[in-house]
Amino acid sequence: MVAETLVEDVKKVVERWKDKEGNLIMVLHDVQDRYGYVPREAALEVSRQLDAPLARIYEVLTFYNYFKVQAPGKFNISVCLGTACYLKGATTLIEEIREILHVEEGHSTKDGLFHLQIVRCLGCCGLAPVITVDGKVYSAVKRSDVVNIIAEYSNK
Amino acid sequence: MGITRQDLDKLKEAAGKRVPKDWIRVGYSTCGVAAGADVVYSVLVEEVKARGLNLDVKKCGCVGLCSAEPLVEVNVEGVPHVFYGKVTKDVAHKIMDEHVSQKKLVENHIYEL
Amino acid sequence: MKRILIQDTNGNLRKELRDFHVSLTSQLRDRNLAEAAQVVIVADIGVYQKGLVAKILPEGFVYGNLEAKHIPAIIEQTIQKGEKIAGLALEKKNKQMRLVLRNCGVIDPESFEDYLRCDGYQGLARALEMGPEKVIEEMKKAGLRGRGGAGFPTWLKWNLTRAVPGAVKFIICNGDEGDPGAYMDRSVLEGDPHAVIEGMMIGGLAVGATQGIFYIRAEYPLAVQRIQKAIDTCYAKGLLGKNILGSSFNFEIEIRLGAGAFVCGEETALIASVEGLRGYPRPRPPFPSVKGLWGHPTVINNVETLANISYIFLHGGEAFGKIGMEGSTGTKVFALTGKVRNSGLVEVPMGISLREIVFDIGGGVLNNKKIRAIQTGGPSGGVIPEQFFDTPVGYESLQKLGSIMGSGGMIVLDENDCMVDISKFYLGFCVDESCGKCAPCRIGGTQMLAILTRIAAGKGEEDDLKKLDEIASAMQKASLCGLGQTAPNPVVSTLKYFAEEYRAHVIDKKCPSGKCSSLVAYSINKEKCTACGMCARACPATAITGSRTDKYTIDKAKCISCGQCFEVCKFGAVVRQ
Repeated sequence: MVAETLVEDVKKVVERWKDKEGNLIMVLHDVQDRYGYVPREAALEVSRQLDAPLARIYEVLTFYNYFKVQAPGKFNISVCLGTACYLKGATTLIEEIREILHVEEGHSTKDGLFHLQIVRCLGCCGLAPVITVDGKVYSAVKRSDVVNIIAEYSNK
Repeated sequence: MGITRQDLDKLKEAAGKRVPKDWIRVGYSTCGVAAGADVVYSVLVEEVKARGLNLDVKKCGCVGLCSAEPLVEVNVEGVPHVFYGKVTKDVAHKIMDEHVSQKKLVENHIYEL
Repeated sequence: MKRILIQDTNGNLRKELRDFHVSLTSQLRDRNLAEAAQVVIVADIGVYQKGLVAKILPEGFVYGNLEAKHIPAIIEQTIQKGEKIAGLALEKKNKQMRLVLRNCGVIDPESFEDYLRCDGYQGLARALEMGPEKVIEEMKKAGLRGRGGAGFPTWLKWNLTRAVPGAVKFIICNGDEGDPGAYMDRSVLEGDPHAVIEGMMIGGLAVGATQGIFYIRAEYPLAVQRIQKAIDTCYAKGLLGKNILGSSFNFEIEIRLGAGAFVCGEETALIASVEGLRGYPRPRPPFPSVKGLWGHPTVINNVETLANISYIFLHGGEAFGKIGMEGSTGTKVFALTGKVRNSGLVEVPMGISLREIVFDIGGGVLNNKKIRAIQTGGPSGGVIPEQFFDTPVGYESLQKLGSIMGSGGMIVLDENDCMVDISKFYLGFCVDESCGKCAPCRIGGTQMLAILTRIAAGKGEEDDLKKLDEIASAMQKASLCGLGQTAPNPVVSTLKYFAEEYRAHVIDKKCPSGKCSSLVAYSINKEKCTACGMCARACPATAITGSRTDKYTIDKAKCISCGQCFEVCKFGAVVRQ
């Protein structure tokens, strides 16, 4: 799904950055903020408006973990796998989510409701292990809590 | 024209005079907010308003005691100055009722490090 | 009114705590002192391994190893007369020293006025009066070394950039904190943004840069927002732009976002990323100080380094140089996490011992487990076993132990943590984050990870350990940048200190700490089993069946070796092999 305003949206972003050297990453950040990911159509439009080859755009998009080229789910579950979370059992949380939702990391459930991703350190190590769902943080999560967290969203 | 060195000193002096006597600080960094500091902050602000108190409630950075977030530091005349940790909505109400109004320390949440 | 704070014991000494509390309150009541002293149970006083601990306010006396028999004396001497009881008093030293975090949690980070009240921008004013040469002299006196990891002297870095001719120079603040487990930079950016900006301006003045760039992780939206707000305020007040504070110094700042690449902590890769390219490191020389951002001389300082600088120019380089230890001056902020009671940020003077940090400040190991090692330096660092916990913390002392100071991650590992597993975790991180440009890092990392995975699965062979050593040494010598050169460190240091544990995995096919699930099998000892059913309820795989009469058994086919039953069994009936 891509908004009809795509050309306009990209124009606004490019306008903001056009006088800055090395602006590509910042432009892509703004595009991702707008759509939640960088759709192929938007990448093409950025390529056109910045007069940069598409390969140059994808070179950056695929190098950096932060950029997503696939549409996220309706709810996005991020499991922190920083050192503190890892030691306190984050991997068991991932197993539990996989089991409940039948979803692999980096993918969405078949109904598009949940997307599971693994992130490196959210910087809340004191609260480990940490899961976020669309920015809402769940701290000191136990394996048995996972089912309730997911249930909170499945009925929304 | 920007400020000069002298302006800096004047601004500092003026700022120093505007510090209220009684205040509450809420640790409002990513870790604090993740643990619920936003809710605690709004409860405290509402309570202060509702009671018409001359008490400054302020958002601050992180003191560093992440496992005890959300952290609230309370400095009110007549009661020792303390940090409360793992503050929930209920504890925030207690801080207003017991610490601020009755001048009593709230049980179980003080981190006196 | 007096306040008697009694420290909660988190489940230990529960009865003693209750008895003490009850008899203290009743004795106060008997003497009609209930209104004169409030008794409160508190979460933490910061004194550990001293039995029941209480603190009396407003005097601030701390008493330890308390028993009911001490109550009358406490009431008569301390509550009624305000005297200290020498026999009970503990000396509670504050081992932290807050320079970098001086304003964090104290000021409103979004208030310019608050920062000014704490002598904000006074350091910059001093630096402007001194001029660039003297600023660098002052930094030399302070002896500050880079807090991002490598510990290069900041004055020298500045001097190198200053010496290169050029009308256009840059200063970049590296806020792309990538070590999973360290977050002091985030905390400083969020808690005291102006201090970092002030440090950057002083650095810009010293090296002759007129443009500063904040490179911050996109994963830290609040930090970005607060720095942006602080920059906007500075422009509005004329603290950024032309003729700053009435001098001839001009300076501009903008923000660029990182996008999640650990390799961008490497200076040349970071520069490539600011230029909008893939974050590939470049061979050095030329060093960034000569040819950096867009080919211009560039100095890169870490967030914590810059926050130190505003402090140094407020209090003087000489005073700063007296803090800490020879060769490693000042303080260091550590993110103390893992299996530690009080996890969080601690700032300590250099030269303090690891033991003091973990036990006196951190309160020791979580849940009374036994400590195995402390990991410092994140994926580029190593583990330090208990026999070295008294080493003073400094750049060289940690390096000698096979670890590094790094950006300040400090992870406490307890008896349940497996050294093979932890090396595998860190190495996996580096393999994920390797940019793939140079072969030693790309291929070496992958091969080492394959070997470690094999060992953890119980399929290791005897010469695997030798192979690990060989690949590690090739990577350390031949990788292009710091990421590849340091990636083997966690493996090398665990091999050095915990060789036995590796051999147990390889030869005996056992994981002593029970973490590597393919090497562990659980069963229930029927003689010890009390048929309470805790294990069956805890089992996530429903592998445990039984009843009150038959007791319980584990179905080996269903068991996923997670160890939950082992953790919950209070009678030692679950056996790990």
